[in-house]
Amino acid sequence: MRLDNLKSSKYSNMRSSVVNSFFALVFSLVLGAVFIWVTGYSPFETYKAIFGLSFSTIKGFALTLSQATPLMFTGIAFALAYKVKMINTGAEGQLYAGAMAAALVGAYVTNLPGIVHIPLALLVAFIAGGIIAGLVAIARVYTGASEIILTLMLNNVIILFTSYLANGPLKPEGSGVGQTERIADSARLMRLVPQTQLTIALLIVIAVAIIIQFMLDRTVFGYELKVTGNNRRAAEVAGINVSKISILTFALSGAIAGMGGAAMVLGVNYRFIEGFSSGYGFAGISIAALAAYSPFGVIPAAFLIGILRAGTITLSRTTSIPIEFVDVIQVLVIIFVAAPTMIRQILNIFKRITGKKKKNEIAGGEVQ
Amino acid sequence: MIDFDTGLVISILASTLRRTVPLLLAATGGAFSMRSGVIDLGLEGMMLAGSFFSVMGAWMTGSPWMGLLFGVVFGIVFSMLHAVMHINYKVNGSISGMAVNLLAAAMTPLLLTIVYGLSGKSEIVTSFSNFDPDWLMGIPFLGPILGSQNVIFFIAMALVIISWIFMFKTTLGLRMRMVGENPHAASAVGLNVKAYKYFGVAMSGALAGLGGAYLSLGQMGMFVKDMTAGRGYIAVVINAFGRYNPFGALAGSAFFGFFDALQTIFQSVFPSQLVMMTPYVVTILVIVFGLKGGRSPAGTGKHVEE
Amino acid sequence: MVEIVRMEKITKIYPGTVALDKVDFFLNEGEILSLLGENGAGKSTLMKILYGLTDPTSGDVYYHGEKINFRRPVDAIEKGICMVHQHFMLVPAFTVTENIIAGSEPGKNGFVDMRRARKEVRDLISQFKFNIDPDTKVENLSVGEQQRVEILKVLYRKADVIILDEPTAVLTPQEVDDLFVILRRLRAEGKSITIITHKLKETIALADRVMILRDGKLIRDDVDPSKVSTNQLSEMMVGREVDLQERRPAKNIGDVSLHVEGLTVEEDGKKKVNNVSLDVKAGEILGIAGVEGNGQTQLIEALTGLRRVDSMELLLNGEKITGASDGFLRAGIAHVPEDRLSMGLVKEMSIKENMILGYHREDDCCDRRGVLKRKEINDKGNRLKDQFLVKAPNVDAKIDELSGGNQQKVVIARAFSHNPKAIIIAHPTRGVDIGAMEYIHQQMIELRDKGAAILLISADLDEVKTLSDRLLIMFEGEIVSETMPGELTDIEMGLLMTGGHSMIEGE
Repeated sequence: MRLDNLKSSKYSNMRSSVVNSFFALVFSLVLGAVFIWVTGYSPFETYKAIFGLSFSTIKGFALTLSQATPLMFTGIAFALAYKVKMINTGAEGQLYAGAMAAALVGAYVTNLPGIVHIPLALLVAFIAGGIIAGLVAIARVYTGASEIILTLMLNNVIILFTSYLANGPLKPEGSGVGQTERIADSARLMRLVPQTQLTIALLIVIAVAIIIQFMLDRTVFGYELKVTGNNRRAAEVAGINVSKISILTFALSGAIAGMGGAAMVLGVNYRFIEGFSSGYGFAGISIAALAAYSPFGVIPAAFLIGILRAGTITLSRTTSIPIEFVDVIQVLVIIFVAAPTMIRQILNIFKRITGKKKKNEIAGGEVQ
Repeated sequence: MIDFDTGLVISILASTLRRTVPLLLAATGGAFSMRSGVIDLGLEGMMLAGSFFSVMGAWMTGSPWMGLLFGVVFGIVFSMLHAVMHINYKVNGSISGMAVNLLAAAMTPLLLTIVYGLSGKSEIVTSFSNFDPDWLMGIPFLGPILGSQNVIFFIAMALVIISWIFMFKTTLGLRMRMVGENPHAASAVGLNVKAYKYFGVAMSGALAGLGGAYLSLGQMGMFVKDMTAGRGYIAVVINAFGRYNPFGALAGSAFFGFFDALQTIFQSVFPSQLVMMTPYVVTILVIVFGLKGGRSPAGTGKHVEE
Repeated sequence: MVEIVRMEKITKIYPGTVALDKVDFFLNEGEILSLLGENGAGKSTLMKILYGLTDPTSGDVYYHGEKINFRRPVDAIEKGICMVHQHFMLVPAFTVTENIIAGSEPGKNGFVDMRRARKEVRDLISQFKFNIDPDTKVENLSVGEQQRVEILKVLYRKADVIILDEPTAVLTPQEVDDLFVILRRLRAEGKSITIITHKLKETIALADRVMILRDGKLIRDDVDPSKVSTNQLSEMMVGREVDLQERRPAKNIGDVSLHVEGLTVEEDGKKKVNNVSLDVKAGEILGIAGVEGNGQTQLIEALTGLRRVDSMELLLNGEKITGASDGFLRAGIAHVPEDRLSMGLVKEMSIKENMILGYHREDDCCDRRGVLKRKEINDKGNRLKDQFLVKAPNVDAKIDELSGGNQQKVVIARAFSHNPKAIIIAHPTRGVDIGAMEYIHQQMIELRDKGAAILLISADLDEVKTLSDRLLIMFEGEIVSETMPGELTDIEMGLLMTGGHSMIEGE
């Protein structure tokens, strides 16, 4: 029996994390509903408005996917760094850096065909995010500085600096808000559904997820990465250069977040706009947690969170329910996923309640 | 360019002290948490909760003192999320700390909308006035500097001393440090490891909440969305910089407070965004170059099986 | 004789195993009892029950004739039953005094009275002639001194019954003698002492009475150590004849394979390894004995490429080896690290993934583009698992799910199967049961006879003496003696290992 159990241990692990994530999301939504109800709104109306949008029209569905796209980038970024037990809370800053880099290439490098221009802009964003995260990782590896605080501080620095650029030297003449020049048409991403913001960025991020997942599962680099993440000392003993692996992984994580910024500029805003990210970086943490830190799992997880975020658009149009609920639900997801024992305990309480009922029924039946 | 007269020096030093207080309170709170072996990454969220709820408390009761109490209590409430996740459910302390920060960052705007129907900031409430009796103002140089501080400043200074005495002179302080250094050893001599950790985290919540209250209630008399602006993280760095000692935290906070105060002078010369970057840049430089040889308590993040 | 502790029909069942099966136990006042048994025989579990660390499934415990039910260790401490743990429960950053008083501090109104504390500790130290400065930080003490601090903690809490868990595991022969002197002194003061151990010679030298557990069952509780031989004891302990002491010297020693010259490693301004030179020949086991912390770790790290050295020339079969650990591995210097779980294995990963660790870049594991060959890795895992008798349901089982002995077999399988020219082996049998120990020793000898040069570093003096073909002793970073095994007595070796002085005041 023990033999059979162990044979399927790989799959049962996967299944248990799916179950865990499912209940984490359900509990978060339920707790969210309680909040909504306590503050005097109707949870039913709220969730109807949110879920109704995504599943009623193709446009709504496309909107959900386009909302989810940048989250997929930041989610993969967080999940990947977490594989070497590093925490990339800097996706927000890397996103801005990538966006600014892509906006510059998009606006000032012209006369290129789209097939060159788009990859070039993405590559520059990739490099921008990668360099920033790479520097953090170097500081982490060689001085022991906390990457969490470094990235959080850098977020502020990058957001302020790009805001300075967008309000100062790079501001187009006559513009009232902080933004850069519009990018050339050749740098725009193709739309998948007309009149929506859903572009080939979605396909790009799915490809990124597949590549990263393959890298982790099937390559020597991925193997060394997992060994490093689980036991740094054993990795060193095995001749693995843990510093190199950590720095490369973290840089790659930042690079992917940077591409997310580029996707926003090339596919949605067509320029860098000050304050364009509505917390994509931190939402990435929720998504990675929901995906149990599997890069490919990020795709469906981001879709689920995307439903909530896209739903807030209808919510604010049709009701007076404050849309900040969604941010709270996102955080609740992190909390529940992080503590699987908590979920098990809650489920046990439910089981005990329902179990007792059943027992009572049986007992009652016997008496009768 | 900039004229260095006494008046300016006084105003910079007075402003330094004002900017020191919230950092100092949060960092001292962090020292309790770290000394009990729990990472203090949740200070930002506890501070933010303190700054929101203190204003709400003052708004509801009309008393700034009640507001202060609200700030402290809700600082503790938010710290308990960190405590339960990390101590009971053994979640990595960085993750549970970040969860507190993210939750506070998500909850406070939501509550702003629900309570005040405003987005971005609260209504203005009665605040604390400066403690500036004539005898104090009469002291040359020092008088006007201390005279432009309110009562929380003096409370903060007292708390630094009390915290130091607690940690290094009392039985409970010794035991708390033992838990932080080696929870197994502490458990072996019969100490309730979890209780000490809870205590350390609760203290960090209380002090960070007070620090947050100083920012909102103590300075502006209102709450503004994301008003801590990373001060909780800076306090984490200050705490490490000050070797988890309240007096070290005082020195570190004064250092950061000074840089923070300089902003006001440069604001007129450089673009505001670049000036606002300074505290973060200084923090980065300190983390990368200033923490060498420091050692956090050996038992940080370790659990004891019961 | 007055009986102080009595345990009746103690049974402890863990999911899947019966750790203790109706075991009776008694301890008399003023005696030293040796609780003897292999790893996993149940002796620690029995003492944990007495100490309140875990509950028995069934059975009763009596103390001074009174039935007791300790739920927490602190209940036991209050009644005067104290334990000295194998892994010391000390705070390195605290002083000796702080370590001793923490949890039972003198003082009033919540303040610690440090002056009184220091005086009490000082009195205790002089009463038992411990020779320790109460104001030094524990991180600056030797292992033997740290153990004395642990004993002081127990005495400070006025213990009547003292349980010591494997107290000699980390001590030098001199420190062991010093400990015995202390324990006899404690007995003379009327304390009752139980030592949990699997060491036979020490049992015979120290104990008044021996109790033997095997597979959770009580075998004997009335052995008089003065009337038995070590062989008889070991048979009772293992249940069959074992002879770990049999030497099988090398027959075909070849030329120098591993040549090390002028190795110096500095750490924190101190020379941890000072100008060490040594040669290991093909087909021989060179043993290095020494107290832990005398540069062995640094030596191992230098010889496996894990550490930058200040100077060293390392030749393997005449070829110079430099660089980092991957270069050393590729050149054919294998490594069985000193701590398998923290250095040798990834416990979250499967057996097969651990079987290739360090050799995962070789052609049988991956292709030239860096893609892993999954089928080959699986086959290799299965082959090594069978060949090295790793007890596990399959190669997808996580290392976490294996016993210590089987985990060590994975490490050994990996290192031995890649035909190393030279191999650095550190503490290969630490914490494994006798069966695995015998097996690992036999594998080492086979590897040697195939012509590998083996450098064995072990804290277990018997192990080094039995396996080595030549024996070095290391003290404070230097090689202080080179002999053939058997040339030196244990006492002489112990003296060399400690620079030749005893650390406790005489009677």
